[in-house]
Amino acid sequence: MIVFKTYLKVLNKCKMPIILYTVILIFFAVFNMQTEDNQISFEQEKPDVLIINKDEEVGVTKNLMDYIKNNSNLIHIKETKDNINDALFYRDVNYIIYIPENYREDFLNKKNPIIEIKSTKDYQASLAEMMLDRYLKTANIYNQTSMSEEELIKSINNTLEKEVEIELTSKIDTENLENASFYFNFMNYCILAGTIYVICLVLSSFKSEMVNKRTIVSSMNYKKYNRYLLLSNGLFAFFAWLFYIAISFVLVGDIMFTSHGMIYILNSFIFNFCALTLAFLIGNILTNKDAMNGIINVIALGSSFLCGAFVPMEFLPKQVLNIAHILPSYWYIKTNELLKNIEVCNFENIKPLLLNMGVILCFSLIFIIITNIISNRKRKLG
Amino acid sequence: MFTHNFKYSIKILFKNKSLIFWTFAFPIILATFFNMAFSDIEKNEKLDIIDIAIIDNESFRENQIFKETFQELGNNKSKEQLFKIEYTNEEEARKLLESDKISGYLLLEEKPKVIVSKNGINQTILKYVVEEIETNSEMFQSVSERRINEKIQEEILKGKMDLDYNALSQEIIQETMKMLQNQKIQIKDISNPNLSYTMIEFYTLIAMTCLYGGILGMTSINKCLANMSHNGKRISISPVSKTKLILSSVLASYLVQLIGIVLLFLYTIFIIKVDYGNHLPQIILLTLLGSLAGLSLGVVTSTVVKKNENMKTGIILSITMLGCFLSGMMGITMKYIIDKNIPIINKINPANMITDGFYSLYYYGVQNRFYQNIISLILFSAILIGISIISLRRQKYDSI
Amino acid sequence: MKNSIEIKNLTKEYKELKAVDNLSLEVHEGEILGLLGPNGSGKSTTINCILSLLNFTKGSIKILNKEMNPNAYDIKKEIGVVFQEVAVFEELNVYDNIDYFCGLYIKNKKTRKQYIEDALSLVGLENYKKFYPKQLSGGLLRRLNIACGVAHKPKIIFLDEPTVAVDPQSRNNILDGIEKLRENGATIIYTTHYMEEVEIICDRVIILDKGKIIASGTTDELKLLAEIEEKVTVEVIDLGEKYIEEIKQMKHVDQVTYHNNNLLITYKKGKNNLLTLMDYLKLKKIKYNKIYSERPTLNDVFLYLTGKELRD
Repeated sequence: MIVFKTYLKVLNKCKMPIILYTVILIFFAVFNMQTEDNQISFEQEKPDVLIINKDEEVGVTKNLMDYIKNNSNLIHIKETKDNINDALFYRDVNYIIYIPENYREDFLNKKNPIIEIKSTKDYQASLAEMMLDRYLKTANIYNQTSMSEEELIKSINNTLEKEVEIELTSKIDTENLENASFYFNFMNYCILAGTIYVICLVLSSFKSEMVNKRTIVSSMNYKKYNRYLLLSNGLFAFFAWLFYIAISFVLVGDIMFTSHGMIYILNSFIFNFCALTLAFLIGNILTNKDAMNGIINVIALGSSFLCGAFVPMEFLPKQVLNIAHILPSYWYIKTNELLKNIEVCNFENIKPLLLNMGVILCFSLIFIIITNIISNRKRKLG
Repeated sequence: MFTHNFKYSIKILFKNKSLIFWTFAFPIILATFFNMAFSDIEKNEKLDIIDIAIIDNESFRENQIFKETFQELGNNKSKEQLFKIEYTNEEEARKLLESDKISGYLLLEEKPKVIVSKNGINQTILKYVVEEIETNSEMFQSVSERRINEKIQEEILKGKMDLDYNALSQEIIQETMKMLQNQKIQIKDISNPNLSYTMIEFYTLIAMTCLYGGILGMTSINKCLANMSHNGKRISISPVSKTKLILSSVLASYLVQLIGIVLLFLYTIFIIKVDYGNHLPQIILLTLLGSLAGLSLGVVTSTVVKKNENMKTGIILSITMLGCFLSGMMGITMKYIIDKNIPIINKINPANMITDGFYSLYYYGVQNRFYQNIISLILFSAILIGISIISLRRQKYDSI
Repeated sequence: MKNSIEIKNLTKEYKELKAVDNLSLEVHEGEILGLLGPNGSGKSTTINCILSLLNFTKGSIKILNKEMNPNAYDIKKEIGVVFQEVAVFEELNVYDNIDYFCGLYIKNKKTRKQYIEDALSLVGLENYKKFYPKQLSGGLLRRLNIACGVAHKPKIIFLDEPTVAVDPQSRNNILDGIEKLRENGATIIYTTHYMEEVEIICDRVIILDKGKIIASGTTDELKLLAEIEEKVTVEVIDLGEKYIEEIKQMKHVDQVTYHNNNLLITYKKGKNNLLTLMDYLKLKKIKYNKIYSERPTLNDVFLYLTGKELRD
């Protein structure tokens, strides 16, 4: 009991990191979660487009703008040169269309006016370009006949309005699962940086040379003492995890009550356990708090960057992901990523997920074994 | 005396392992992580070839326009290739869709139908293409008809009565076909060339390193102040002027800081190929001033804050991390949101002055915006150094 | 006799507390002056004021006949200080630490090198040149602390509790070192709350309490103040009240206490007190184990003057 009491006292001194990482987790989760309604019908992707019109907004010019408006998210910003360029650089817009002066007149006079654009050259921009392309082609073709402007607009719109029938087969709640995966992926960082750091700090206080010597000479059984310490750390890790899970219920919502949610929770629990064993390993190797701080930061940031906690896995280079296989975080995040694409949680579907969790447990086992070897050797040498 | 203290200050800084780790090694490690994580993002955002399937039924085989167009778009030798197409039956296509091997498939019966499993860019593009093919054939028909009618009316008006309708319509259909194919629209791309937004991450990293360097300055000055450290007491009673001592300590830490930044620059330029633009003198100027800003932050913290060294380190770290966060280190959108909505915050944020300086050099070249950042950095440093000098002028303390 | 330091009416007030209260003192050239007092009596504050580290409320401080101020570099050059706290750089080894601090005084490299060697041998750290402070034991660290303070061979040396928490061997080494420094002509101001040390090495002692000088003089002079000349302790089992009362009536006896089978008798003055006592015990057939006589210590002086013990 006295061990546990002291543990809580030491822990109380280290509460700052826990608070800090919780705030970070909540902030980034809220910042990154889009809450849209569950879509059952097909919604086409809309690029973010900015139109800078130097012509009057009437006739064909207006029609061009209307068409773009309908097929994209029109962005409004203050139209200074820097603002426009910044917006493009930071991908606030994917595509900027400059409609030149006298566009309407030149177009109607079949002069085929030049339209200037700026593009981020990503797929959103490509889509915007396809759109503009299609409109201009259609308009040009109708313009080869001698129609009145009104007739011309009507024909263009008629043609472009045609929609093909589209069927959406899957009915999974993509948005919410995306959010849940994001939250749990980010939790990877918080567990590694926060929980491990705190455990190591507390361990280093308990294992500091003088205190440790004093414990060894005390009447308490050293093994028992270590067990208490282990138990206290385990309890702390458990409650920290429980706390993060509680937050997930608030932020992610309903989906946490489904079988998907159960798997997210199970997966994070296993990962949390693995983190605990890693914390023991680090706490046993190092006693210097500065060195500890450095190592844990590198491990936490490294695992999070290389395994896709910050940048989604699908955006990471293949070689990086190959390297990432040696990190437990990879298997943890991989499970979250797979989970969000699973429609029905039957055994057949979640088998690969269970395998991943098994791998994480193997990592834990390895950490435990190494810790034991090192602490045994240390005691003998000491 | 100046060189004596200078020499030993450098030695003391370099011997402080954790300090050197955080100011030298940590940024390089972080740069490596950034590089690993971000190097493919922009490539992945480019439009890739999309895997689709087409149900190879009778109506598809008979529809000349669909068949030819998709053949063209699926031709892997063509520059215009957009799709990788699997011609198969419906059952197979559904399986491919379920296992995420294809983005969607096309079923052509009386009308074309696109089947997809989720919303997304690839799906939207497939839909677009099918719509375009459909409307094109329609448009072709209506335009040809219209032009034939126009031509006939024209000829009739001219008084020609003996029209060979067949020949005429053949001619116009040919013409329209040509027109459709040779349609040249004029779109001109005037984007700036440097659009790689992941560069911002590396710029914030430089900013972080510059400001982190403040810890070096802080440590270096702390050792000279009687009210901050025991060593400071001992140094204060020596017959050396305080100005000389502090100046040489500050210079020593500035030098160490610059060495760290140069290492980071060399690493980012030669190993991970970060693009800083082509304005070397300006980059050097910006780096020197950025480090100066970090240094003055460290100096002011060490002289004004009357707390222990850990507290001071904490203050510098928090200011640095908050500043970097606001200037886009944890997601560049942050910088944009702040710049756009509450610009004043980033105008006084030293991390952003440095980041924005590099950004404007990279994206806009040497322009007013760059010099605005330079001036901000000079002001920032001057104010902090001013405050430090005022509080350093005191030589005796009320309590130690 | 020339004065190295003259302090007149020095007062230092923290908000409510008067740490130093109208203190005047002189330090003569070549002497070892002990500043004795319990923790919080104003010893360190006085030294910090003399060194111009602290602002003081009132008073004047002259060192080597010149007004002391933070820019009086010619004075500072002649001063060496060993602070109570170990003030060395963790990042530098023993040699570099001494070199750094010595270098703030001595520009010439050759001279400095010789001075460092002298300092090393003074404190007996010749074999630890390449050691880092972390690798040194508490006593050795204290010795390094002293070497850093006195390597530049100053004329005036302040030693602020240099022997706190030091093992006996290091303590003897340090005290020997201080003697050597004096032999080389330095004036030494030595603060401590160990009166044994003061008795061994100090020529003159000033006793401080609550920021005031409550006594000063040579050790012998001070001991006279306590108005006792002899302390006799007898180990005797179960001594009756009657005998104690009788002993109290004996000649020269000041106080008698009997505690834990130890009989403690203090005498105001006189000779042959011990013999008289032994005769008395023999006469009454009281059996005793040990009996010994001591001269009073500075602690007794302090006890007499303030009614409290010097040590906490």
